[in-house]
Amino acid sequence: MTDTVLEVRNLKVAFPCPGGVIRAVEGIDLTTKKGECVALVGESGCGKSVTAFSIMKLLRTPPSVSRIDKLQLDGQDLSHLTERDMERIRGKEMAMIFQDAMTALNPVMTVGKQIDEVYRRHGKLGKREARRQTVRALELVGVPEAKSRAKSFPHELSGGMRQRVLIALAFACMPKLIIADEPTTSLDVTIQAQVLDVLKVMQQEHDVSALLITHDLSVVANMADTVYVMYSGKIVERAPMRELFTAPQHPYSLGLLASVPKLSDEKQSFVQIPDTVPHPMHKPSGCYFHPRCSSSSDRCERHMPRLEVGANDRQIRCWHPLHQERET
Amino acid sequence: MKRSYVIKRILYAIFIFFIVLTLNFFIPRIGVRDPAERYYPPQGAMSEIEYEIIQQFTREQYGFDVSTFQQYLRYLRGLARFDLGTSLRPGSPKVTELIGQRLPWTLVLSVSTLLISLVIGLLFGTLAAWRRGRWQDTMLLNASTISVALPAFFIALMLSFYLGFKLELFPAYTNPNMVAQFDWSWEAITVVFNNAALPIMSMTLGGIVGYSQTTRNSVIAVTNEDFVITAHAKGLSHRTVLYKHILRNAMLPLATSIGMSISGLIGGAIIIERVFNWQGMGTLFLEANSTNDYPLMMGIMLFLSAFAILANLVTELFYVILDPRVTVGDRR
Amino acid sequence: MSKPNVIFQIVRRGGSLFSLIKKLWQHPKGRVGLILVSLLVLTAVLAPVLAPYDPYDVTQRAAKGLRPSLQHPLGTSITTGQDILSMLIYGSRVSLMIGVSTGIAIAFLGALMGVMAGYIGGFADSLIMRVVDVLLVIPTLPLIIVLTNLLGRSYFVIILVFVAFGWTGLARVIRSMVLVLKNSNYVKAAELAGASRWYIMTKHILPGTSHLIIMNTTLTCAGIMVAEAGLSFLGLGDPTAISWGKMLAEAQGGGALLFGAWWWILAPGAGIFLAVFSFMRIGIVMEEVFNPRMKASSGIYKLFKHLNNRYLDEVFRSMDDEGDPVTSEGSDTPPPPLSGGGHD
Repeated sequence: MTDTVLEVRNLKVAFPCPGGVIRAVEGIDLTTKKGECVALVGESGCGKSVTAFSIMKLLRTPPSVSRIDKLQLDGQDLSHLTERDMERIRGKEMAMIFQDAMTALNPVMTVGKQIDEVYRRHGKLGKREARRQTVRALELVGVPEAKSRAKSFPHELSGGMRQRVLIALAFACMPKLIIADEPTTSLDVTIQAQVLDVLKVMQQEHDVSALLITHDLSVVANMADTVYVMYSGKIVERAPMRELFTAPQHPYSLGLLASVPKLSDEKQSFVQIPDTVPHPMHKPSGCYFHPRCSSSSDRCERHMPRLEVGANDRQIRCWHPLHQERET
Repeated sequence: MKRSYVIKRILYAIFIFFIVLTLNFFIPRIGVRDPAERYYPPQGAMSEIEYEIIQQFTREQYGFDVSTFQQYLRYLRGLARFDLGTSLRPGSPKVTELIGQRLPWTLVLSVSTLLISLVIGLLFGTLAAWRRGRWQDTMLLNASTISVALPAFFIALMLSFYLGFKLELFPAYTNPNMVAQFDWSWEAITVVFNNAALPIMSMTLGGIVGYSQTTRNSVIAVTNEDFVITAHAKGLSHRTVLYKHILRNAMLPLATSIGMSISGLIGGAIIIERVFNWQGMGTLFLEANSTNDYPLMMGIMLFLSAFAILANLVTELFYVILDPRVTVGDRR
Repeated sequence: MSKPNVIFQIVRRGGSLFSLIKKLWQHPKGRVGLILVSLLVLTAVLAPVLAPYDPYDVTQRAAKGLRPSLQHPLGTSITTGQDILSMLIYGSRVSLMIGVSTGIAIAFLGALMGVMAGYIGGFADSLIMRVVDVLLVIPTLPLIIVLTNLLGRSYFVIILVFVAFGWTGLARVIRSMVLVLKNSNYVKAAELAGASRWYIMTKHILPGTSHLIIMNTTLTCAGIMVAEAGLSFLGLGDPTAISWGKMLAEAQGGGALLFGAWWWILAPGAGIFLAVFSFMRIGIVMEEVFNPRMKASSGIYKLFKHLNNRYLDEVFRSMDDEGDPVTSEGSDTPPPPLSGGGHD
């Protein structure tokens, strides 16, 4: 249970633009263990999705430029693989679930055919065998009458069914890693819970590692084992899920938690994060969060804190971490 | 759902056709009270009775011998029997007969033009989209400006001059005996395409650029869609993504533009046919114009309009197969 | 302090056209278009001054079929000995007159129809759209030929017919734009405030579509100039005027191809090309200015071509944690330019 499935070391992504450089991701380390669900949390624009796409090596140059020290999937080094070799990995060893199933599925192809493609590509299966597997995959994610539903086009399915199709698509080859980019954001709240449940069951039953990318902390509480909090291209905190919810150390994490008050068992003053994420081309000096932070000091304004490794595998990037007394 | 959509489109096409045929009936009557007075004014050397006879004959020829409403009914009755009227040419040939003689020759030009420009346009357009922002793309952008600014008939003249008269690669003028001597032999077919080479070339240049531009824009639009990323994330090769996902969706706007241009190709060949004296529908129309042969002109017009309506209808019905969303009104 | 401001405001208000021309002038391609169009207008206006010979003079028997020379910079015609340069200069009048007047008339009619269809909606919309559908299937060139036959071959009739059949494209574009504007909040707010339909149409809807109208008009002018040349080439233009299309027809009819009088064909062709090209240039640049997405996509490749790797390394190094204190010093200031050694 402890072997590492995904290891990312020092991922940096920049987007050169006419007016300067957008610093999307600024040196991120991520580790995912087998069967573990790791959540990457942050406001929109903080670089989560860019991180996800970089791990799949789906970012093109141009428009992006990226550097990475290490990208390892199940012991295999991906950072030097050619595009052709990556094609053999994508969909088979690691797969991705996208946000909006309406746009993420080809509108003029039946959903069955779109899943067939995965089996035919990676399983080298014939038409009929691929379809048999497709129907089985659809049944697995709880699509009723899977055989006939496979023949429908995306627009003929409901939102929840479409998202299930995307999940079936991602789990088709039982990859080692699933990257789910806001998997339920586009759904109604009631459907969200169902789909999330399907995702959770699939992930846990088949012992697949997951990288969950979301801004919704209720999703995190539901699924994640470990949480990385990201702010403006940098990891600001890493903690086991329960610890993050009970004892956040970064003021930003605390601010995020204000949106799910029922889970924090301690009575805290309601922390509101003023202002918005800094523009990725013009970031503030020092700690990127300091203009919005209530406990910022001169030091925060001038110097970016390092990511310190603490007890219990926690990491924190802050000059004035909260809950320090509980650690010591 | 699909069937009701199909029926709706067919009924609408019939409705449009009815308006067009009515317009077609009234247009030549704009400002013309009496064709006899307009085209054969009394001349000094003519006796009263002679003139009466000529006038009567002219009115009959133009169909003005009864009241306008009766003329309209007669016109409709004729159309119901696929009769587009009678030409004023000597021997009074039927309009449909004349069209039947000339249409194949125009089709030789327009069908080859369509096929060539479509194939090359698709290739260029996809290439330009794939190499977006690189020199291939810039070249296409410049070519499209230039091709609009250079009228097809000027290109035709230049081709006729250089490839025809100077280099003598192809006939600069259509061989006048080509039509009469045509006997479906291999040799005759070679002669036809040898003569058609320059007209086809002058028409394809614009077509290639047009289709390339449409293809490029629509391929780029599709490439930016999410499902293309999904396809890549599935591990499909670039080639598979291009053929199965991008091009398939990029076809949709292209189908519309093909449908629109099919009818335009036949009507638009008029000037090119004139340059090379190609004996097709275009020259037939110009001949009719120079002799005030209204039944013939309006017959050709109606035929071309019907062709356009049919082409549009076929495109719309084709969409039902091409785009499953179309019947639910979610058409892009 | 306030005076220039006021003047600026007035200029801005009264001169959206002025600011548009300024924008075009700042764009290198737009500047070329503007200069070419101005030259064209000057040529047309000053034709009697500029033309070295009388273009209508068909009596110069001695000067028949002369190659380009100092006396006749573009040569003379084979059949009548007319000076090609003079004809070319006079021909610009027809092209420009028909192109611009038709373009403007189409702009008015198309915008009116589009706004009516889009804003009033309902019956007006379906009626206008049915008319558009009908006009789209009627073959344009044959119809124009029929109508000039019926109504006479004067430029007035030609313009009339061009306008009657040329407005559909613009109307469709404007209609969809109006539909977008109509559902925008500021129009809804004006409606709730009790503004009349006419007021909203003239104060909110039309200004919102003006750039589309202007852009389309320049492209229409270009298209009409080509169409007019074609019509004149078929001998269906005004028989008394000199136009580029008619020159080409006369050249072909007069055996220019057969006798190798290339100057007789090339000159009017170049005239058509330059006139249409300059109008299109302006139209395309306007599209780039109003629709910057097009530009951005090609801009990014240019940017990457000249990407300075040392600068990028610097950016990536600055993302590192190690060298604590100085890392982010002064990152508020805009970063240095991307391109390397001066070349853009």
